Amino acid sequence: MFGIRKFLFKDGSPAHLPDDVKAAIEVWRASSGPQLDEAHFHVRYVVIDIVSSGLKPDSDELLGIAAAGVREAGMVVPDDAFYLDFSAIEGEGEAQQQAVDRQLMAFLQFLAKAPLVTYHVPYVGGFLQRIYKERLGIDFQPNWVDLAWLLPSMFEEKSHTLQPLDHWLDLFGLASGSGRRDAMENTLMLARIFQMLLVRVSGKGIDTPGRLVDESRASSFLRRTH
Amino acid sequence: MRQEGRRRVAGNTLAFLKNHAPFNKMKADALQAFADKAQLVFHSAGSEIVGPEAGNVRYFYLIESGKVQARQAGEVTVTEYSILSLGAGESFPIGAVTAGRPSTNTYTAVDDVFCYQLPAEDFMQLMTSSPEFNLFCTQYIASLLDQSRCQLQLQFAQRANEQQTLNSPLVGIGSRSPVAVAPETPVRAALETMSAAKVGSLVIAGEDRKPVGVFTRSDLLDRVVLADLPHDAPISQAMSPAPFKLEEHATAYDAMLAMATHGIRHVLVTDAEGKLTGVVSERDLFALQRVGLRQIRQSIDGAHNVEALQQAAADVRQLSFNMLAQGVGAEQLTQFISALNDALTRRVIQLNLETHNFDGIEWAWLAFGSEGRDEQTFSTDQDNGIVYAVPDGLTVGELKTRFLAFALDVNKDLDRCGFPLCKGNIMASNPQWCLSLDEWKEQFSQWIRVPQPEALLNATIFFDFRPLFGKVELAEAMRRHLLAQTSSNPMFLRAMAHNALDVEPPLGKIRDFLTDLEPDHPGKIDLKKYGSRIFVDVARIYALATGVHNTNSVQRLRLASKRLSIRDDEVNAVLEGMDFIQFLRLQHQYLEGEPGTQGDNLINPDDLNELDRRILKESFRQARKLQTRLKLDYQVN
Repeated sequence: MFGIRKFLFKDGSPAHLPDDVKAAIEVWRASSGPQLDEAHFHVRYVVIDIVSSGLKPDSDELLGIAAAGVREAGMVVPDDAFYLDFSAIEGEGEAQQQAVDRQLMAFLQFLAKAPLVTYHVPYVGGFLQRIYKERLGIDFQPNWVDLAWLLPSMFEEKSHTLQPLDHWLDLFGLASGSGRRDAMENTLMLARIFQMLLVRVSGKGIDTPGRLVDESRASSFLRRTH
Repeated sequence: MRQEGRRRVAGNTLAFLKNHAPFNKMKADALQAFADKAQLVFHSAGSEIVGPEAGNVRYFYLIESGKVQARQAGEVTVTEYSILSLGAGESFPIGAVTAGRPSTNTYTAVDDVFCYQLPAEDFMQLMTSSPEFNLFCTQYIASLLDQSRCQLQLQFAQRANEQQTLNSPLVGIGSRSPVAVAPETPVRAALETMSAAKVGSLVIAGEDRKPVGVFTRSDLLDRVVLADLPHDAPISQAMSPAPFKLEEHATAYDAMLAMATHGIRHVLVTDAEGKLTGVVSERDLFALQRVGLRQIRQSIDGAHNVEALQQAAADVRQLSFNMLAQGVGAEQLTQFISALNDALTRRVIQLNLETHNFDGIEWAWLAFGSEGRDEQTFSTDQDNGIVYAVPDGLTVGELKTRFLAFALDVNKDLDRCGFPLCKGNIMASNPQWCLSLDEWKEQFSQWIRVPQPEALLNATIFFDFRPLFGKVELAEAMRRHLLAQTSSNPMFLRAMAHNALDVEPPLGKIRDFLTDLEPDHPGKIDLKKYGSRIFVDVARIYALATGVHNTNSVQRLRLASKRLSIRDDEVNAVLEGMDFIQFLRLQHQYLEGEPGTQGDNLINPDDLNELDRRILKESFRQARKLQTRLKLDYQVN
């Protein structure tokens, strides 16, 4: 249902959107994100994981989003979490489409332009970018922290190469051993790794979100090109 | 979808809480309230989580993973530990967050730690809404102990079930190698076989091992003697044909029913092909049923020889096990074992008095050590002695020779009843411990005057004496003498205290337990040496110092603490700790000991479930607390 590209707009809100969503998008556009040169303690990060029908952001379907805020340099609070299962959105036809748009908007509001943390940005970011472009006409370009690339450079003593997430969980002693995790469980695992990462990077002088985002970009660039 | 987000994050927390006491006992809504508000926070190795400088405590912390070390700030008080380590499922600082004051301890992450932190106001809310949580926080140790006891009961009950219900299949009951002969065997040869095997019944089976009949002693009367059957006739003419058979997988209950219905005393057990594999007798089935206290007492008191007492000794063990299964606490249980063992010992003494006459002589049989303290576990060896008063006209030497001969017989009989001879030869048959009243008094005085290492060691065994048989007044006289000596001799008590502090509870500063203290048993903790003995030693010193006549450690601690004005709840916590360690010893000796062998006191803490590990840790802390007090009272550094 998200494969239809006819709602694709370069700028401005797509015409079909309900007025409240259109208004919300304008408010969101005008809002400013957190100061990334503040200490980690003062900035809220959001850890994200998604569920999709496949691994290709261009053609596969986004099925769900799970996100949890991490604040005060490493605190996960149940009140600050978001879980969206697209298949659970009720209604039919236009009403359902509008409900989807409202949920996507609610998620943007939840994020509040916080720096985002995930495992493998091209995958997670790719899906989010496409759905926001297609449905809300938004170019979704948040500040990403990619654990997949950062972990090998920040926790060299554990592994200095790219690893599947489950290997990292083992290395951190977080393996739950209970088989498959759902998206929120995965997000909470990522949040834990991120909590550890925040302590680690602070020790290395990477003491602001801005520097962490830069470091993430640099690590993925260096690793990919060398 | 934020509600859904919260629900799922809280769900993750709930899964953890449900695996840990006291949360697993809390009602769903209280648990949900905790999970909704609990924040997950990471503390890297070496970082401080909360300390006195942080001001009033803002959170209740529950360790999700990793280890936290608590270090007491400022001067160490009498009643508290100085350092302790906490692990997953443990929480802190309960007292401070309840009182809304700063923590007195500094809590530091030993390794990487994840903690759930519940804001203080939510904590207080939970205290008012959840009685289980409230109970947990106010009676931290006591409630944990109860839960553990329930678990133990369950475990024992299961074991009891496996072992002795009438639902057990016949394959495990009765004789596995029944005596059988062929149908054509002459009567005389068959009777010889019975006589040689000392059995009252015989199975008649063909070459295919399928039973065709049974021959019992009562058949001998009716079918051989009175029927004038020649001795060379085949046994098949005298047997009861078509014996009652059950297959191996039939239950003991089936066999019992068959016996009642058909008025028979034996049931033959066959495999699926009908081949003989065993015989179950009426007696085998009786043995399956629970042995009662009264029967044991009766069989002990009515026993006419050591063989009968041997059976009674086995019954005592079985009964103690049943009581464990029914959830009787360690304190009552050890006293109970002692009481029955006392009765047994008395009967052995009485039986031996039939061949040794001490008429007109005042004497008493003494029990020492754990027996003297009423603290026997399943595997206890003999520690005994004799005291006697020398009447006019007899010399000490003469009397001693007579008592030694008597004691040797008693010691040997006790050994046959399952009380092994003492390796250290602390037995009445040793001339050193078969003494007149004056000799005992002098011996005690000497140990107290010159508290050499050996004297102190002896004091820990012999000062826990109790008269088991004979003239109780003699033991009383010994006790009065002992207490008069010790209470006026602070140097001796100080030396005892010094000795008692030689061994510390095996608590690690970083790890939970120190398991490498016994070089021969790496990974294990000696629960006697590093656990119960600490309580026992301290109890003895306070009892001697305050003139308590009792020898039982629990009673000693209770009475002595009253005289020393120690708070009841403080003593109760100590006693519960001691009780738990004793319980673990009993459990270990019963559940893990090979039947018929001496159980040891070595446990691997990793084998315990998490709750027991935590309680064991708490129990050791109580031991340490007790030692700290002793240290201060006797100025031992």
